Amino acid sequence: MSSRKSSLVLALPLLALTLLQLSLPKGAHAIPAFSRQFKTECSTCHTIYPELNEFGDAFLKNGYVYPGKPGEAVQPADKKEGKIEGLWLSGLPELLPVSFTGTLDVAYNNDAFDGNKVDLSTRSLRLQAGGAFRDVAGFFLTYNLYSQGTQTSATASSSPASNANTPPSNSPDIYEMYAIWRHAFGTPINFRIGRMEPKLSLWKKSNRVILTPSYASTAYTVGSSFSQGSTPFSLDAPEDALEVNAVLGNRVFLAGGVVDRNGQKNKDGYGHISVKLGGTDFLGHEPEIDLESDSVWDYLSLTLGGFGYAGSNGKFNDRGVAQFKNEFYRAGAEADLLYKRFHLKGSGAFGRDDNPTFSSTAPTPIDSKAYAVEGEYMFGAPVNLITLFRYEYQKDLNGRTRRYIPAVSYAPLQNTKVSLEYIFTDAPSGIQRLTLASLAISF
Amino acid sequence: MKKLLITLLLVSLSATAAHAGLKVIGKGDNMRLDPSNFPPQMKANYEIVRVRCVKCHTLERTIVAVQTGVAPISGQPFDRNATKAYGVKMLRKPDSNMSKPEVKASVELLNYLLSEAER
Ligand code: HEC
Repeated sequence: MSSRKSSLVLALPLLALTLLQLSLPKGAHAIPAFSRQFKTECSTCHTIYPELNEFGDAFLKNGYVYPGKPGEAVQPADKKEGKIEGLWLSGLPELLPVSFTGTLDVAYNNDAFDGNKVDLSTRSLRLQAGGAFRDVAGFFLTYNLYSQGTQTSATASSSPASNANTPPSNSPDIYEMYAIWRHAFGTPINFRIGRMEPKLSLWKKSNRVILTPSYASTAYTVGSSFSQGSTPFSLDAPEDALEVNAVLGNRVFLAGGVVDRNGQKNKDGYGHISVKLGGTDFLGHEPEIDLESDSVWDYLSLTLGGFGYAGSNGKFNDRGVAQFKNEFYRAGAEADLLYKRFHLKGSGAFGRDDNPTFSSTAPTPIDSKAYAVEGEYMFGAPVNLITLFRYEYQKDLNGRTRRYIPAVSYAPLQNTKVSLEYIFTDAPSGIQRLTLASLAISF
Repeated sequence: MKKLLITLLLVSLSATAAHAGLKVIGKGDNMRLDPSNFPPQMKANYEIVRVRCVKCHTLERTIVAVQTGVAPISGQPFDRNATKAYGVKMLRKPDSNMSKPEVKASVELLNYLLSEAER
């Protein structure tokens, strides 16, 4: 056995241990572990975290390997220069690639069903890890170490908070945990396997300035929530999946995958395509710009995306087998427009479920749709502030819901963020007004 | 190209610039260059860099890139073929508040410094 092989064998348990320790919180990609590894500031990849900027998106697509020099092809960085040999031979990163994000939320709800208008009871602590081993294998992990409390709403939930002031919603869990085989066989093709948000929308669920997930295209659910033993399907929910993706011609991104759902034989399938015009390309290269004359494309970029997802789910019986199956599909189209400090995100998604309530007797098919427009303005240094407004609409089993969300997010330090959102919801069940303040710290 | 030639010409004509490497003053956050031996155009360009390129980080990043020929963060070569792309990257950051002429002057200075550092 060569010495390289034997050190690899030695490294495997270590690696497994490292992997075990790597857990991540809900969805941020922009994690301090990367900042430490590359000795760079959060703003390299983020506007105000967790929202990604153009370069952050390229870093994500590149499987957590720092994109190449602007204007040049990405080289496989299989060099050990400047690295500690033992660690390099083992494929180990020099710093344990782990970070944490803690959030504290305060909600104000004038119509709280229990009269508790100001609610300070939600907080969360997430662990994130990510990186690449010798630029060949990338990995990412989000582990919810602790999350507690749901904001008081206008209606009582079925599981009221206890007198001990510890709402029963702490659910430690692995949110995402996947590995990427980068550039398989020297091709641009990457394989991604594990628990992940399938690549559908242009933006990962976490890729937003505010935490309220957007109906379109990500948090678009068609209510099977009343049905015991299953959760409603939402496009951004992490799934057990195998995905193949690739950047082609620098400006086209393709992804497709299969999802393995518990309790049933059938697999779900999905596909995504996006095309970027102008701006930093998907490999992180800066656009060619003429410094002598002006063009609208100097600062403008437009990304268009489309996706489809088809699958089935059902109600679990007591043996965990899905019954009363619901066949469904979703399709969506999105656009992301960036001009200097202005950012516009638009998306629309529609779908059909043939038995969304998992009815055993009378399946009622439903067509649903959702769309959202979000406009952002970044003030930037010296006041690192983003203001935004989101309008969104969803039509599903319960009827039509409209939501208006003005928000502001301020990062006094790049790792510390205070945000304030006002969420006005006009739903079939009535009008809800919620003000949400949130403090998040990543380290 | 013309610009580059003129720059190179200026450099070779400027007798005072005929010393090895760059004159760096201070360390870390206070790292600066001593422009006293720069040709007039480069003195003006340095003024722009000294003021505009420290909005988000110190000059150390730029000086280290020039001295080592490696961009300190990406680890990619920092040579005359790369300076423009880095300039463009800084320009396009939403809150850079830089104009194209300023970035052009910065890129010219970086190219001049690179050729000086090589000596
Ligand atoms: C708007 C803020 C901002 C301004 C203004 C700015 N930079 Fe930067 N610079 C950054 C950030 C953020 C990084 C981190 C890495 C990146 O984004 O490439 C960086 C990185 C760098 C690097 C290292 C690049 C690498 O990949 O290793 C160099 C060199 C550099 N800047 C030079 C300059 C010069 C020269 C100027 C003036 C023309 C300038 N910067 C102006 C934000 C800025």
